[in-house]
Order: sequence, then structure tokens, then C-alpha cells
Amino acid sequence: MIVTGGSIFRTGLLVLLGVVIQISGLSQFHVLGASPDLTPLIVAAVALWAGSVPGAVTGFFVGLLLDLALGQNLGSSSLVLSAVGYGVGRYGELRDPAHGLIAIPVGAAATAGYLTAFAAVSFMLETAPSISALVLRDTLVTTILNAIIAVPIFGLVRRVIRPVLLAQPAGRRRRAHTRETGPIGLRGLEV
Amino acid sequence: MYDKKVIRRRRAALAVLLGLSLILLTAYFGESPSGVLHGVQRGAQQVLAPVESGASKAFKPFSDLFNWVGDAFGAKGQNKKLKKELAATRAQLAAAQSALRENQQLRAMVGLPRRPGFPQGTNPVAARVIARSPTDWYSTISIDKGSSDGIHPDQPVVTGDGLVGKIESATHGTAQVTLITDASSAVSAQIMPDGSSGILRPAVGDPSDLQLDFIQKGRQIKKGQAVVTSGFQSSGLQSLFPRGIPIGRVRTANPSEIQTYQRVHVQAYADFGRFDYVQVLTARPPGVQAASVGVGP
Repeated sequence: MIVTGGSIFRTGLLVLLGVVIQISGLSQFHVLGASPDLTPLIVAAVALWAGSVPGAVTGFFVGLLLDLALGQNLGSSSLVLSAVGYGVGRYGELRDPAHGLIAIPVGAAATAGYLTAFAAVSFMLETAPSISALVLRDTLVTTILNAIIAVPIFGLVRRVIRPVLLAQPAGRRRRAHTRETGPIGLRGLEV
Repeated sequence: MYDKKVIRRRRAALAVLLGLSLILLTAYFGESPSGVLHGVQRGAQQVLAPVESGASKAFKPFSDLFNWVGDAFGAKGQNKKLKKELAATRAQLAAAQSALRENQQLRAMVGLPRRPGFPQGTNPVAARVIARSPTDWYSTISIDKGSSDGIHPDQPVVTGDGLVGKIESATHGTAQVTLITDASSAVSAQIMPDGSSGILRPAVGDPSDLQLDFIQKGRQIKKGQAVVTSGFQSSGLQSLFPRGIPIGRVRTANPSEIQTYQRVHVQAYADFGRFDYVQVLTARPPGVQAASVGVGP
């Protein structure tokens, strides 16, 4: 990602809208007692398309805004989402995933990782918490819901940040190179 | 593939971000509620409040429709259950009215002021919920009324069903509410009509399960008995919740859980995941005693 005023503005707007929509909008939708969580998906999408460092920075600011808006312990969400953004970004850089549905496993893994790590951080910060089946159920349901909405969210994020990316992400690159045919026009008969 | 300089920069960026997060976390825990970071947090909430309010209103019709479809599936069973509860409640109401009248007569006889079940003179201020935490770990909500409406920290917050929490902090136009399902919450409560008192705390992560501890083992606690804020007065303790605010009903009592005392599991009247409006009791009823031991993080 090219760090310019435009890229900061676009990503900042994305972060702000994502957090506001999450806490005031999506949190009203209940499926089996849980709600979809947009925040890890936005961080994972930015990280996948733009790289590990932009992903980690986006994760930090998404977490910070979330903690500020909800009156949570400042830094807890930033800590977890920075790590999630970095992890997804490194996966994208090392594996260069090309499949069109990569958003589903990446979104699900990012959500599950975020919720689990956040639960662990909360567990360490609270005075006397106990993990109940409800937390595990909510984690599972939220992960499934996020996997369902991951493809459009990743597409939307990519559309927003595409103008400021260094190059087209590998996932959407057309594979122009095709295997050459043999001398009589059939594949597998190369000389 | 990458030169060492790039790798070093990348790792340094991650280390800086994680370090910043840890510094924030440590500083936030270390400072008092009137500290700089808490002030920044309150400022951010005030700035974001209009946007959150607009987004909340915009999404409301869609969420109502979505949730209505989901609710319709469980409506039949819920209807049957509610009818049973209504019948039981009517019977309880009749008994309570009778007891109340008798109680009032007794109070009048000894010259005490008349106090109906719910505390009077609390000057409730209605407010709309504009944001809520998406996790089970932070039981907090934001409301669209603040100090300009007479809302200040530690005031009780109720819904039509009963007690839900207390004001944690307030800005000019918004306020942060810590629900009684938060790990930091502890409410002095009383089982009616038995009168057994204890401390009500949540089982964190399961908002439907509130635990009333320190009930004497010999007490006969029955399922369905009402639990209300007890209100007590002790030297050095200032009251937070007035006496008589309904909290929930007894779900189970388990004398074996604690040696000296028994633990009572309470089902809250309020549905903590659904309510959209709350009332903040901004005035203290005259002569009502303390009932809460709020413990901040």
C-alpha cells in the first residue's frame, strides 16, 4: 500500500464506518443469541489485500476506536486486532492466495482468532471471570456468521482500498500464462 | 525473497503497535476514572454519539424485521410459558397487594412514611440505547442522555422489567452504563417475601445467570420467589440503589455450593440483549438506604 493522504483517508473512513456500523447497527441483529462482528473482517481484508504492516496498523486503530467508543479497557482490542492484522497479512504475503473464495476461510480464521484471543485477554484482565458455554457458543455462531458475510465484505474493502494498493492483489490477478501446447496442438505432447 | 531491512522494519512495526497497546492497557488500568485516557475516552464517546445515534436509528427497522422473523419461530413456546407466568404473577400480585395494604397499615401504625413497592420520588429520565458491546466480556451500553439531563455516575438504571445497571460515566450528552451482568458488578439484594439478603453477582459470560451469595444455609428458598434490591445502611457506606427495585426471580438454590452459606441462582427479569430504552433514576428517594456495593475494575 502507498502511504499517502488519500490512502490514510480511505482506510480511516473505512475503519470509522466499520466500527460505527458494528456497534450501532450489526449488534442489533441476533442469530442464535450472537451477532456478526465486522471488525475482524475489515482488519483481515485490509491485511490480505495490502500486507502485514497496513493490516497491523488498521487492526490497531480499529481496536482503539472500538475501545474508545464502548468504554472498554483501552488497548485490549488494539492488542488483539494488531496481531490478527499482522498474521493475516503475513499469510497473504507468504502464500499469495489466488482462490476467489479465500475470504471465507481467512474471515472465519480471523474472527475465531480474534474472539479467542480477546477472550483470553479479557480472562486475564477480569477479577474473577468464568468461561461458560455461552461464550463458546457465541464464538462459534459469530465465526459462522462472519464466514457467510466475508466474501462481500472483503470485496467491498478491496474496492475501497484498490486505488491505493501498490499492485493488483494476487488473488484477483488474471492468470494470463497458459500452458503451451505440443507441436500438433495437443497438451501433453510437448517435444 | 525479502531483504533483511524489510523484515526488520516489518517486525519493528508490529512490535511498536503491540507495545503501544500494552502501554495503553497498563496506563488505563493504572489511572483513576478522572485520568487523561478516561477523559479522552469520554470525549471520543461524545463525538461519536451523534453518528452512533443516527446509525442505530437507521438500522432499527431492519433489525426489528430480522429479529421478528427469528422470534416468530420461538413465539409459540414462549407464549405458553408467558401465559403460565402471567397467571402466577397475577396470583403474586393479589398477594402482594394484600401484603402491601397490610404493610402500609402497620407502617402507619408505627408512624413510618408510606413507601409502595417501587421507590418513589426517583425522578426517572428516559434514554435510548445507542451502542452496546458486541462481546460477552464487557457488559456496557451507551445511552443518549448525559450530565445535561441530570445524569451522573452511580445512578441506578432500570427498564420496564427491573434493574439493569448503574451509570459508570457521563458526558454532556451521553452516558456509559455498566450492566449488572458485568464482572465488576455486585448488588445487595433481598429475596421476597422471605427477606434473606445477599450479594448478587453475575456468572461472567452468561448474563442469564445471576448468583446471589451469602444466603444463610438454613433459609428455605423456593423457585420463583422475587429478588429485589435490598437497600441497607451501614456506617461509611453511601447508598447507590434504592430499596425495592425488582431484579429477577429465583431459579435454583444450591445449599451445597458454599459451606456456610447457600448460593441462589437468579433469572433476571430484564432481557439484557434486547432492550432499546432505559430509565435512569436521577434522584435519590428521601430516606432510602444503601443497597449496592459497586466494585470498579
